[in-house]
Amino acid sequence: MENTIKVERAILNLTQDELAQKIGVSRQTINSIEANRYVPSTVLALKLSALFEKSVNDFFKLSVND
Amino acid sequence: MSLKNVEKCEHTKLELFLSKVQLPYSYKKVGFIIVVLSFIAIIGNKFIDIVPPWLVSGFKHAMLIGLLIVSLSKEKIEDELIESLRSKSYALAFIIGVGYSLLQPLANFGVDLILGKQNGSDQIGYIQVLLFMLLIQVGFFEVLKRNR
Repeated sequence: MENTIKVERAILNLTQDELAQKIGVSRQTINSIEANRYVPSTVLALKLSALFEKSVNDFFKLSVND
Repeated sequence: MSLKNVEKCEHTKLELFLSKVQLPYSYKKVGFIIVVLSFIAIIGNKFIDIVPPWLVSGFKHAMLIGLLIVSLSKEKIEDELIESLRSKSYALAFIIGVGYSLLQPLANFGVDLILGKQNGSDQIGYIQVLLFMLLIQVGFFEVLKRNR
Protein backbone atom coordinates (compact mmCIF):
# COMPACT_ATOMS: atom_id res chain seq x y z
CA MET A 1 0.00 0.00 0.00
CA GLU A 2 1.29 3.43 -0.96
CA ASN A 3 -0.03 6.77 0.10
CA THR A 4 0.32 10.49 -0.52
CA ILE A 5 -0.60 11.66 2.96
CA LYS A 6 2.58 13.71 3.19
CA VAL A 7 1.50 15.64 0.08
CA GLU A 8 -2.07 16.10 1.33
CA ARG A 9 -0.74 17.28 4.67
CA ALA A 10 1.54 19.77 2.92
CA ILE A 11 -1.43 21.10 0.90
CA LEU A 12 -3.27 21.81 4.17
CA ASN A 13 -0.03 23.19 5.66
CA LEU A 14 -0.21 20.84 8.64
CA THR A 15 2.61 19.32 10.66
CA GLN A 16 2.54 15.62 11.56
CA ASP A 17 1.68 16.59 15.11
CA GLU A 18 -1.22 18.84 14.06
CA LEU A 19 -2.63 16.16 11.75
CA ALA A 20 -2.26 13.57 14.51
CA GLN A 21 -4.19 15.76 16.95
CA LYS A 22 -6.97 16.38 14.43
CA ILE A 23 -7.65 12.68 13.92
CA GLY A 24 -6.84 11.55 17.47
CA VAL A 25 -3.66 9.52 17.02
CA SER A 26 -0.01 9.98 17.96
CA ARG A 27 2.56 11.77 15.78
CA GLN A 28 4.46 8.48 15.48
CA THR A 29 1.39 6.84 13.93
CA ILE A 30 1.23 9.53 11.22
CA ASN A 31 4.97 9.11 10.65
CA SER A 32 4.55 5.31 10.31
CA ILE A 33 1.67 5.70 7.84
CA GLU A 34 3.60 8.22 5.74
CA ALA A 35 6.63 5.91 5.68
CA ASN A 36 4.39 2.99 4.59
CA ARG A 37 5.31 1.03 7.72
CA TYR A 38 1.71 0.89 8.90
CA VAL A 39 -1.56 0.53 7.01
CA PRO A 40 -4.32 2.34 8.93
CA SER A 41 -7.77 0.96 9.70
CA THR A 42 -10.85 1.91 7.69
CA VAL A 43 -11.89 4.30 10.46
CA LEU A 44 -8.60 6.18 10.35
CA ALA A 45 -8.61 6.23 6.53
CA LEU A 46 -12.13 7.70 6.58
CA LYS A 47 -11.11 10.28 9.16
CA LEU A 48 -8.24 11.32 6.88
CA SER A 49 -10.64 11.35 3.94
CA ALA A 50 -13.01 13.69 5.80
CA LEU A 51 -10.14 15.98 6.78
CA PHE A 52 -8.59 16.12 3.30
CA GLU A 53 -12.08 16.30 1.70
CA LYS A 54 -11.01 13.66 -0.78
CA SER A 55 -11.87 10.04 -1.44
CA VAL A 56 -9.70 7.41 0.27
CA ASN A 57 -8.68 6.16 -3.17
CA ASP A 58 -7.16 9.55 -3.92
CA PHE A 59 -4.42 9.21 -1.33
CA PHE A 60 -4.19 5.41 -0.78
CA LYS A 61 -3.09 3.22 -3.68
CA LEU A 62 -2.41 -0.49 -3.87
CA SER A 63 1.21 -1.27 -4.73
CA VAL A 64 2.43 -4.08 -6.99
CA ASN A 65 3.06 -6.38 -4.01
CA ASP A 66 -0.52 -6.07 -2.65
CA MET B 1 -22.63 4.02 6.81
CA SER B 2 -21.52 6.60 9.37
CA LEU B 3 -18.03 6.74 10.84
CA LYS B 4 -19.39 5.63 14.22
CA ASN B 5 -20.96 2.52 12.65
CA VAL B 6 -17.72 1.66 10.83
CA GLU B 7 -15.89 2.05 14.15
CA LYS B 8 -18.40 -0.29 15.83
CA CYS B 9 -17.91 -2.88 13.10
CA GLU B 10 -14.12 -2.75 13.41
CA HIS B 11 -14.08 -3.05 17.19
CA THR B 12 -15.21 -6.48 18.23
CA LYS B 13 -16.75 -7.16 21.64
CA LEU B 14 -13.46 -8.72 22.75
CA GLU B 15 -11.53 -5.57 21.84
CA LEU B 16 -14.03 -3.43 23.73
CA PHE B 17 -13.67 -5.73 26.76
CA LEU B 18 -9.86 -5.56 26.58
CA SER B 19 -9.96 -1.76 26.46
CA LYS B 20 -11.96 -1.78 29.71
CA VAL B 21 -9.45 -4.12 31.40
CA GLN B 22 -6.56 -1.72 30.77
CA LEU B 23 -5.22 0.55 33.50
CA PRO B 24 -4.45 4.28 33.22
CA TYR B 25 -0.97 5.37 32.07
CA SER B 26 0.04 6.47 35.59
CA TYR B 27 -0.08 2.83 36.75
CA LYS B 28 2.91 2.03 34.52
CA LYS B 29 5.28 3.78 36.96
CA VAL B 30 3.65 1.98 39.90
CA GLY B 31 4.21 -1.34 38.12
CA PHE B 32 7.85 -0.53 37.38
CA ILE B 33 8.48 0.45 41.00
CA ILE B 34 6.95 -2.84 42.24
CA VAL B 35 9.08 -4.81 39.72
CA VAL B 36 12.33 -3.02 40.67
CA LEU B 37 11.71 -3.30 44.44
CA SER B 38 10.78 -6.99 44.27
CA PHE B 39 13.78 -7.66 42.00
CA ILE B 40 16.11 -5.96 44.51
CA ALA B 41 14.49 -7.98 47.33
CA ILE B 42 14.97 -11.28 45.44
CA ILE B 43 18.61 -10.49 44.54
CA GLY B 44 19.30 -9.23 48.09
CA ASN B 45 17.94 -12.46 49.52
CA LYS B 46 20.53 -14.43 47.50
CA PHE B 47 23.31 -12.69 49.46
CA ILE B 48 21.70 -12.31 52.89
CA ASP B 49 19.59 -15.50 52.95
CA ILE B 50 17.67 -14.68 56.14
CA VAL B 51 14.28 -14.21 54.54
CA PRO B 52 11.85 -17.12 54.99
CA PRO B 53 10.91 -19.02 51.79
CA TRP B 54 7.27 -17.88 51.91
CA LEU B 55 8.46 -14.26 51.72
CA VAL B 56 10.71 -15.02 48.73
CA SER B 57 7.68 -16.53 47.03
CA GLY B 58 5.80 -13.34 47.96
CA PHE B 59 8.50 -11.22 46.28
CA LYS B 60 8.19 -13.32 43.12
CA HIS B 61 4.42 -12.90 43.12
CA ALA B 62 4.86 -9.15 43.68
CA MET B 63 7.18 -9.02 40.65
CA LEU B 64 4.56 -10.89 38.62
CA ILE B 65 1.84 -8.43 39.69
CA GLY B 66 4.15 -5.49 38.91
CA LEU B 67 4.85 -6.79 35.41
CA LEU B 68 1.14 -7.43 34.86
CA ILE B 69 0.37 -3.83 35.87
CA VAL B 70 3.03 -2.56 33.42
CA SER B 71 1.63 -4.84 30.72
CA LEU B 72 -1.97 -3.71 31.25
CA SER B 73 -1.21 0.01 31.53
CA LYS B 74 -2.25 2.27 28.68
CA GLU B 75 0.16 4.50 26.79
CA LYS B 76 0.09 8.32 26.93
CA ILE B 77 -1.63 8.35 23.52
CA GLU B 78 -3.49 5.11 22.98
CA ASP B 79 -4.26 4.67 19.29
CA GLU B 80 -4.75 1.81 16.83
CA LEU B 81 -1.03 1.47 16.05
CA ILE B 82 -0.28 0.99 19.76
CA GLU B 83 -3.08 -1.62 19.98
CA SER B 84 -1.61 -3.42 16.98
CA LEU B 85 1.91 -3.38 18.47
CA ARG B 86 0.58 -4.61 21.81
CA SER B 87 -1.20 -7.52 20.10
CA LYS B 88 2.02 -8.43 18.29
CA SER B 89 4.01 -8.33 21.52
CA TYR B 90 1.48 -10.63 23.27
CA ALA B 91 1.60 -13.07 20.33
CA LEU B 92 5.42 -13.08 20.36
CA ALA B 93 5.53 -13.51 24.16
CA PHE B 94 3.13 -16.46 23.96
CA ILE B 95 5.09 -18.26 21.23
CA ILE B 96 8.48 -17.62 22.87
CA GLY B 97 7.02 -18.58 26.28
CA VAL B 98 5.83 -21.94 24.99
CA GLY B 99 9.22 -22.50 23.33
CA TYR B 100 10.95 -21.57 26.59
CA SER B 101 8.84 -23.96 28.68
CA LEU B 102 9.65 -26.76 26.20
CA LEU B 103 13.37 -26.05 25.89
CA GLN B 104 14.23 -25.04 29.46
CA PRO B 105 13.91 -28.59 30.94
CA LEU B 106 16.08 -29.87 28.08
CA ALA B 107 18.68 -27.18 28.79
CA ASN B 108 18.62 -28.09 32.50
CA PHE B 109 19.04 -31.76 31.60
CA GLY B 110 21.99 -30.92 29.34
CA VAL B 111 23.68 -28.84 32.04
CA ASP B 112 23.09 -31.59 34.63
CA LEU B 113 24.56 -34.12 32.19
CA ILE B 114 27.68 -32.00 31.62
CA LEU B 115 28.15 -31.28 35.34
CA GLY B 116 27.44 -34.88 36.26
CA LYS B 117 24.54 -34.05 38.60
CA GLN B 118 21.85 -36.61 39.21
CA ASN B 119 18.17 -36.39 40.13
CA GLY B 120 17.96 -32.91 38.68
CA SER B 121 14.42 -31.62 38.39
CA ASP B 122 13.15 -31.26 34.82
CA GLN B 123 10.15 -29.18 35.93
CA ILE B 124 9.97 -25.41 35.72
CA GLY B 125 7.68 -23.37 37.90
CA TYR B 126 4.67 -21.47 36.60
CA ILE B 127 6.02 -18.23 38.10
CA GLN B 128 9.24 -18.62 36.11
CA VAL B 129 7.31 -19.12 32.83
CA LEU B 130 4.86 -16.30 33.54
CA LEU B 131 7.65 -13.89 34.53
CA PHE B 132 9.53 -14.81 31.36
CA MET B 133 6.43 -14.30 29.17
CA LEU B 134 5.57 -10.95 30.74
CA LEU B 135 9.18 -9.77 30.48
CA ILE B 136 9.23 -10.73 26.80
CA GLN B 137 5.89 -8.98 26.21
CA VAL B 138 6.93 -5.75 27.94
CA GLY B 139 10.37 -5.83 26.29
CA PHE B 140 9.09 -6.50 22.77
CA PHE B 141 6.35 -3.88 23.16
CA GLU B 142 8.96 -1.25 24.06
CA VAL B 143 11.20 -2.31 21.13
CA LEU B 144 8.27 -2.26 18.67
CA LYS B 145 7.18 1.13 19.99
CA ARG B 146 10.64 2.59 19.45
CA ASN B 147 10.85 1.17 15.92
CA ARG B 148 7.35 2.17 14.82
